[in-house]
Amino acid sequence: MQIENPMATTENCRYCLMCRHTCPVGHVTRKETLSPHGWGLTIASLKRGVLPWDEEAADVIYSCADCGNCRSHCVTDQPLPTAIAAARAELVEKDLAPAIVYEIDAALQKWGNPYEEQAPQSVTAQGDVALFVGDEAHYVWPSALEAALTLLGAVGVEPVLIGVGRNNGYLASSLGLPETAAALARQTLEELEEAGATRLLLLSAGDYYTFSQLLDERLGISWPEEVELLEFVPYLLEKLDADLLSFAPVEDGMPTAYVDPTHSVRVDGRDEAPRKLLSAVISSPTRELFWREERAHPCGNLALQFTQPDIADHLTFARLDDARQRGAKRVVTEDPGCLAHLQRHAGRFGLEVQGLYELLAAQLSDDSR
Amino acid sequence: MRRGIQSEMIRSELEEVVGEAFISTRESDKLVYSTDWSWMPQMWLDRGERLATPDYIVHPASAEEISQIMKIANSYHIPVVPWGGGSGSQGGALPTYGGILVDTKRMNKIIEIDEKSLTVTAEAGIIGTQLEWALNEKGLTLPHYAASSNCATLGGYLAPRGTGTISTKYGKAEDMVLSMEVVLPNGSVIQTPQVPQHAAGPDFFRLFLGAEGTFGIITKATMQVDYLPETRLLRALLFDDLSKALEAGRLMMTRRLNPMVIRLYDPDSTVSRVRRILGYELEGAYMVLGFDGDEDLAALQEKKAREICRELDAQDLGREPGEKWWNHRYDFYYPPQSLKLPWMYGTTETITTYDKIENLYWSEKRAVEEEFADWNVSFIGHFSHWFHWGVMLYSRFIIEEPPEDAEAALRLHNRVWDTAMTAVMENGGMINEHHGVGLKLARYMRRQYGDAWPFLETLKNAIDPNGIMNPGKVGFGV
Repeated sequence: MQIENPMATTENCRYCLMCRHTCPVGHVTRKETLSPHGWGLTIASLKRGVLPWDEEAADVIYSCADCGNCRSHCVTDQPLPTAIAAARAELVEKDLAPAIVYEIDAALQKWGNPYEEQAPQSVTAQGDVALFVGDEAHYVWPSALEAALTLLGAVGVEPVLIGVGRNNGYLASSLGLPETAAALARQTLEELEEAGATRLLLLSAGDYYTFSQLLDERLGISWPEEVELLEFVPYLLEKLDADLLSFAPVEDGMPTAYVDPTHSVRVDGRDEAPRKLLSAVISSPTRELFWREERAHPCGNLALQFTQPDIADHLTFARLDDARQRGAKRVVTEDPGCLAHLQRHAGRFGLEVQGLYELLAAQLSDDSR
Repeated sequence: MRRGIQSEMIRSELEEVVGEAFISTRESDKLVYSTDWSWMPQMWLDRGERLATPDYIVHPASAEEISQIMKIANSYHIPVVPWGGGSGSQGGALPTYGGILVDTKRMNKIIEIDEKSLTVTAEAGIIGTQLEWALNEKGLTLPHYAASSNCATLGGYLAPRGTGTISTKYGKAEDMVLSMEVVLPNGSVIQTPQVPQHAAGPDFFRLFLGAEGTFGIITKATMQVDYLPETRLLRALLFDDLSKALEAGRLMMTRRLNPMVIRLYDPDSTVSRVRRILGYELEGAYMVLGFDGDEDLAALQEKKAREICRELDAQDLGREPGEKWWNHRYDFYYPPQSLKLPWMYGTTETITTYDKIENLYWSEKRAVEEEFADWNVSFIGHFSHWFHWGVMLYSRFIIEEPPEDAEAALRLHNRVWDTAMTAVMENGGMINEHHGVGLKLARYMRRQYGDAWPFLETLKNAIDPNGIMNPGKVGFGV
């Protein structure tokens, strides 16, 4: 159900410090203003006229990662990220948002993505199973999609590809562009209907969160009941458990850590599946990051990469440093955007980056191919 | 605020110490750092009033940087206000006189975990829960389970002499600290002795515990830690008589049964807070009892405690309500379940010996409820930190419809506090047990300490001759 008057939640968050320990931006910046309480108090103060709506306020409000860690740790489930997105929408209306926000809005409206001046591909087929590709898997880390299709082929599934090159709507929503976000979401729903699919596979936790929760709560768009959303990682584990997939383990002995992807804290009960899949292809025990599972911090593939690239980079550095401190030489995750951000800086930390789907596809045993 | 050239000179000197990225004079930052977790500044802001703000907010990375900041502050006679998590409830971190606010959260490294001596040494800006997670990975725990652990820093545990949920067995934060690194107001960086129990002269190290940054800034601490317990046995009991419940707690403590927690809610809390948060429709004094450690030892201690309670006519409610309390013990502090604005509230927590505690409770409750009956005040409390000789009363007053005018609301708040603190002191209580003195209780310190107060003032003047450290707090400079 859509959250009405989301900014009202700041009345609960403005003096509450109970999720401070989980905020990744607070963790990398160490600044009180850049923490859930700081954002809550800033927005509440703007509403009361104690602070002016100006570029400084915009700078603060556009520093939140919109990662969901605060809400996932909140006993009373305060939707602070949604309140922050609503405050950003107000900044956009007042023409006070950072210039990049308007540029991305134009790109999303015209091209459906912020990466390339290229229109999303149209659906050309029909089928019961569809796979949402999105913009990150299409433009910034295409090998994840290729590997996913290989894995699906191994279990005899040939999905209809939808949303090829189009953002799922999260980016626009997070930047305070709800109309653009809604337009992108509707295009996905139209494609889904055109494909006639009843199951939609999603390559990342971020896609799953967006379609299962964000659309409804922030945009008032209900997901069609007849279409089941399936995150690809647990889907693959199901196939592995059913002996429909098997892998030849990697025997290189390289210490490996799994990086819970961006938005994973927003999806209940997903922590186990990627770890089980990874242990099916890596013979040596994997390392666990300090910031993992229910306290997993995001990589930099958030709206923040455009509005506060320095903070976004530090989120990625923190993931890599966490892995390095755990003695890992290789980090694995499945989220295409997360992989791209990790890859960009991994060399500095002496780490190799590997996509989970790619790893699985490469290690498919002969009888699974 | 020093304006113009001098302000810029100070800023540039501070910038040279911490770097451009770690100093701010932005209005948005000043506003956020102008309030802590206490009612007064929050109410003030909510009514649309501006608070005193820091002139400079700095984020140093080391004791050496803080040392240089102290020297700059001394040369310009500017206040220095230490800031950890900002979770104080008495205004201890408020930049009342402006100056340099020193946020310690960049100093968050765990330096060493000694698994033989069971100690952890960490920088003081680390957030409590993050430190706890790191210890848990090694099967260890710092048994200071404060309600503020998610936001408070290690330095913030120590500076106001904090107490956590299981203090009844493990002690206050001050009982867990072995040694500290402190930056004095003159910029000297000192290390207290490696262990607290010795006879090598007076125990000066305790001067910094409870000083709330008025004697210097704690930058590092070595804390005693424990193994995570094999078991935690929780249960709840209900007494129809608060007096008998207090006696049960006293007997458990004086017989050294070693409970980790005895949380005794007064009947008014049982029908309000316990009902709202835990959902139990009960009347009477609700007691949560917990034992931990080796399973057989904990079970035996619990058995003896239950015998004491049975002899005092307690109804044993079983494990579920005790375990539910344990699992939801911090839910009490999440809005909108917590006490929150626009209500007026205050925690007038206190401590005294067993012979006085019941009379103190009733005296304070009667005084507040009678004096402010027109405001429909409610006075509730629980007894949560028990010692061999006495117990702490976590008393709170709540006025759901306070004056809308900020100044009128503040005056009423002060009057309720005066009434409560007078009742406390007249009945042998201390003005607080673990929330610190801060700004709110500063004016009661002279009365609390009587003839001993000038001695404390002499110490303060010797350590901080320019009075730069957290002025107006703990009664210094009032």
